[in-house]
Amino acid sequence: MATDAEMAVRAAEDFRIVRLVVNGEARSGLAEPRTLLVDFIRHELGLTGTHVGCEHGVCGACTVRLNGHLIRSCITFAVQVEGQEIETVEGLAPGADLHPIQEAYQEAHALQCGFCTPGLLLATQSLLEENPAPSDAEIREYLAGNICRCTGYTNIVRAVQIAAAKL
Amino acid sequence: MKPVRFKYFAPETVAEAVARLEEYGDEAKVLAGGQSLVPLMNLRLARPGVLVDICRIPRLDEIRRNGSLSIGATARQRAVRQSDEVAAAAPIITEVMRWVGHPATQSQGTFGGMAAHADPAAEIPAVLLALDAELVATGRDGERAIPAGEFFSTWFTTTLAPTEILTEVRIPASASQSRSAFLELARRHGDFAMVGAAAVVELDEAGTAESSRLTLCGVGDTPVRAHGSEEFLVGRQLDSATMQEAARMAAADLSPPSDVHASSEYRQEVAAVLVRRALEQIAADT
Amino acid sequence: MATTDRTRPPQYLGARVMRVEDPRFLRGGGQYIDDIALPGMLHAAFCRSPHPHARIKSIDVGATRQLAGVRGVFTGESLKELVGPLVTGLDHEHIRVLEQRVLPLDRVRHVGEAVAVVVATSRYIAEDACDLIEVEWEPLPYVMDAEEAMKPDAPLIDDSIPDNNTLHLDYEGGNVEEGLAGSDRVYTRKFYFGRQSASPLETRGLIADYDAASEMLTIWMSNQMPHLTRTMISTPLGLPEGRIRIIAPDVGGGFGLKAHVFVEDLIVPVLSRQLLRPIKWIEDRHENLAASGHAREIHYECDIGVNEDGTFTTIYGRLLGNNGAYNNYPYCAFIDVGMGGNLLPGMYDWQHARYVSDAPLTNKCQTSAYRATGMVVGNSMREIMIDEIARDMDIDPVEMRLQNTIPPDPYVNALGHKYDGGSYAEALKKAAEALDYEGFRQRQRELLEDGRYLGIGFSTCVEPAGWATEHARAHHWGEGFGTFGGYFDSASVTVEPDGSVTVTTGLHSHGQSHETTFAQVAADALGVRLEDVRVRQGDTASAVYGVGTYASRSSVLGAGTIMRAGADVRAKLVRIAAHELEADPADIELYDGRAHVRGSPDKTIDVTQLAQLAYFGHTNRPADLEEPALTSTRSYDPPESYNNSTFGAIVEVDIETGIIDLQRFAAVEDCGTMLNPNVVEGQVAGGAAQGIGMALYEEVCYDEEGQLQTGSLVEFLYPSMMEVPDIEAEHIETPSPVTAAGVKGLGEGGLLTTPAAVVNAVADALAPLGVALDRLPLNPGYVLSRIRAAREQ
Ligand code: FES
Ligand code: FES
Repeated sequence: MATDAEMAVRAAEDFRIVRLVVNGEARSGLAEPRTLLVDFIRHELGLTGTHVGCEHGVCGACTVRLNGHLIRSCITFAVQVEGQEIETVEGLAPGADLHPIQEAYQEAHALQCGFCTPGLLLATQSLLEENPAPSDAEIREYLAGNICRCTGYTNIVRAVQIAAAKL
Repeated sequence: MKPVRFKYFAPETVAEAVARLEEYGDEAKVLAGGQSLVPLMNLRLARPGVLVDICRIPRLDEIRRNGSLSIGATARQRAVRQSDEVAAAAPIITEVMRWVGHPATQSQGTFGGMAAHADPAAEIPAVLLALDAELVATGRDGERAIPAGEFFSTWFTTTLAPTEILTEVRIPASASQSRSAFLELARRHGDFAMVGAAAVVELDEAGTAESSRLTLCGVGDTPVRAHGSEEFLVGRQLDSATMQEAARMAAADLSPPSDVHASSEYRQEVAAVLVRRALEQIAADT
Repeated sequence: MATTDRTRPPQYLGARVMRVEDPRFLRGGGQYIDDIALPGMLHAAFCRSPHPHARIKSIDVGATRQLAGVRGVFTGESLKELVGPLVTGLDHEHIRVLEQRVLPLDRVRHVGEAVAVVVATSRYIAEDACDLIEVEWEPLPYVMDAEEAMKPDAPLIDDSIPDNNTLHLDYEGGNVEEGLAGSDRVYTRKFYFGRQSASPLETRGLIADYDAASEMLTIWMSNQMPHLTRTMISTPLGLPEGRIRIIAPDVGGGFGLKAHVFVEDLIVPVLSRQLLRPIKWIEDRHENLAASGHAREIHYECDIGVNEDGTFTTIYGRLLGNNGAYNNYPYCAFIDVGMGGNLLPGMYDWQHARYVSDAPLTNKCQTSAYRATGMVVGNSMREIMIDEIARDMDIDPVEMRLQNTIPPDPYVNALGHKYDGGSYAEALKKAAEALDYEGFRQRQRELLEDGRYLGIGFSTCVEPAGWATEHARAHHWGEGFGTFGGYFDSASVTVEPDGSVTVTTGLHSHGQSHETTFAQVAADALGVRLEDVRVRQGDTASAVYGVGTYASRSSVLGAGTIMRAGADVRAKLVRIAAHELEADPADIELYDGRAHVRGSPDKTIDVTQLAQLAYFGHTNRPADLEEPALTSTRSYDPPESYNNSTFGAIVEVDIETGIIDLQRFAAVEDCGTMLNPNVVEGQVAGGAAQGIGMALYEEVCYDEEGQLQTGSLVEFLYPSMMEVPDIEAEHIETPSPVTAAGVKGLGEGGLLTTPAAVVNAVADALAPLGVALDRLPLNPGYVLSRIRAAREQ
């Protein structure tokens, strides 16, 4: 939502159009080379479900999927993924119903402030695609890259088990 | 926490990438996944003026095995971890990938990037050194193979020329014959090691070591090879006194760095423990 | 609709109701501060000090003006006329008042302190501009250590405080000197509790939008207490509260950090007023670790008097905090070193107790509130010492605790705190059972023979919760937050014309699940369905005034206020229903969204109709119903109440590496009546994880040069899923006799109780080696050095 003058500044700089497929839909927006993918997704495309917790690749809050695999969008530049497919939390349940993983998180009370949740949901999705019946230990190892400051994780592990049973 | 401005190039051939490096000299950095570089850029601790993204170069991510194992520089860590070829040719690489970051960094981070970043606390450089790997550098005049022992020069620095690109990592065929183990201590799972130890040992039928390579990460400005212990082991059985002594020797001459996670003394002390345990693991497997 | 066959549903209160707020968060539809964008919005970034202590000789911002997109640059000098200082001090006879300019005029006092602010069209450009600001510094002598700062020749951090000490507290119950003299044994121990950081996963941040036409300042802020914040910023901004609206949207964790006013919270609104544009500032993680607020660093020395039969007599703590360079606003160092003394007695029957606290200024970032505050330090100190004393006296630590435990009835402890009763001994026994204490001891002995070092540790806690005026008084908070005395809270309950219910509250949820638990309370209070209740919070323009959410107060204050207001409205519904159904009001029952006449199953009317009658019913209303509006606003200021808990941990220590494997963790808590057990368990587990972080991983460190060593999450370690074991939670419910519905609150107990359980388990594991521990966190290098030291002896 920049003003005209600000748009002019952006045009004069090294902005370019980046095209992506996001949650199955072709999207495009302006990015400098240095524009972080997470900023592009959130502020250029307006998909604010992907969060920023550290901006240096440690906490997992910015986790999205690139061509079906988990990545951290705060340490990826938008220009690096030009033309590729991104999935964000907004794409998990396109309809009225929640995705079974989302339902499981609600049932298990696996979120409190909800800030880590989008990243964890996508990580859970990838885990269960790779390993449909994980043990608690496998869940913990796979999801260890997603920090939650609120829940103490116990209910997240439970949620993943519930989700595994549903899927 | 935003990076400074830079120019971005995504060449489609190695030659083009090399040309960019020549054009921009010191200003330019290779972007090979960026899982180490981009955090530093966000913190403005790295401020390259130009990034040359080599991940769009076709076939630079191939993993091939014919005799030796060849891992393309931009092979994603995830692909390496899941590769059957890698598991057969160099099981220690498959094993070590468990310790390297998390699924979300492994799908973007590259194997070659981890080597070229030359973080002395990182696991992959230590394992490459233990495997006697060759790192293939490509420049204007073609390729040259650099033995791992000559590749890592100091903190975050390699012997790659500024206009060369790491294009491939080659693991000798002998790796599949050896027994190996990798162990590390980190503050948390997925973090860089405070100390890590890799051991690659060839044993004859009687259980006597024919050759051995022991390396450590987190204990110096590069991955460190324990030459003395390696020589000591050759011709001996892996009994407990031998392993103990090899471990002691491996740690004896280290002068590891101190940081907020561990002191130099701590690193030195547990280096011996890890080497011994790695050898014990090998001995137990036989 | 046939309703006669419907049976009366169980009440919502106490049920495992799934959270109302979850679908929003699960779809990525939460609206956190950085998700908000306003037309024409600009972005701020701060230029911060690289020095721990330095005079600012000059600041040259000239180069920033060349940069396209920069809209303004401000320094201490250019802001000094525009905004008043933060005047920090608790209106407390023992706490010194300090003045802090929003940006320093003459010198910086810690690494990371803001010295200038840039406003630009993007955060990227604002940061570029910060790089171009040239500050000429004259480094000054600095002091990082609290003991050093208390010495007569220490560098002075603030000229108005001649000895650096921001407070001196000395509170006593009984007579400690006599108590110690009369005890068979006196144990004295020193323990160092490392510096912490609350670091919610969402950092701080705000957007300020000053509208010149209406002269209204609207602030969106990631914040735990929007109303109190409005009150606190009004004076320095020179704007009446009626011209300030604060909206705390969804907040990604607070843990006390967002219950403060920091300088940025004043600067950003001023910039908006100057530039007449909405301005956003989102704290980055480095700023969060370097310049928000740290917590807890305390050198603790403690004496415990005990008799040969194991009876405790006396406890006496000396606390030396490390305040950092400024007083946090509004709580000052009291939040740590005051509360760290207050928690000394716990659940034991001491005859004498005393604490003495000091907190000097140093060249570190200020300390601030972090969940469990200094309470966790005082509680841990006692629990750690009890284990050491038991070991020394060859008494079982569980037995020793039980021997000294107060009865379950209301009790006044040695410092004068009025406990409202609890399951003190029972919780400990239950925790021991949960971990099969006897069985473990057997296994421990066997494994020790194989050279494996396992240990078990327990920790108990009595936590002041439901914080309000009497708590503040009992814990010596003086007259309140400076001029902001009084700790009640309020809620309004309104039945809308369609029968739906709106609750507003000044409490704020940043993970605590108010939209669910408060709706449960309201639904029961009115007899309506949960799904018909909406809880509105976090907006000073639409919720009644309240002090906010901190200090484990929201479940007690929320339940009390909503039950009171709900009862008022319910009484009106009953009167209207009685009138309409021609029944005696005493026979009207409200449940499931309908009024029923007891004994006449056919006589029933739903709340929607009752609401229609109230709003639009004219002559159909009871004639004597003078105020038909179905709304009530009530406040509540509960007396002291206290939850209790016992946690137990089992660890194995690798004595060659110092690595600690936390294998099991049992948490037994009693927070009185539970509003929702799911939420209780979530609070306990989350707090426990933070306590595990405090015990084993998290520490804010500075080096000898006064530089911050833990400025990113690579160095500051949150525990991940691999470090936190399954938290095995069990409940006991001892309703409070003094609060609404018997609710006790529990937000901090999880953290409070945890660290000592872990430390005690590690000490137990290493007891055969004679290892003594004296600091937190127990990082592997420290543990190994203690093992080595013990072996060398
Ligand atoms: S925000 Fe990307 S990993 Fe923390
Ligand atoms: S729910 Fe708050 S960070 Fe996970």
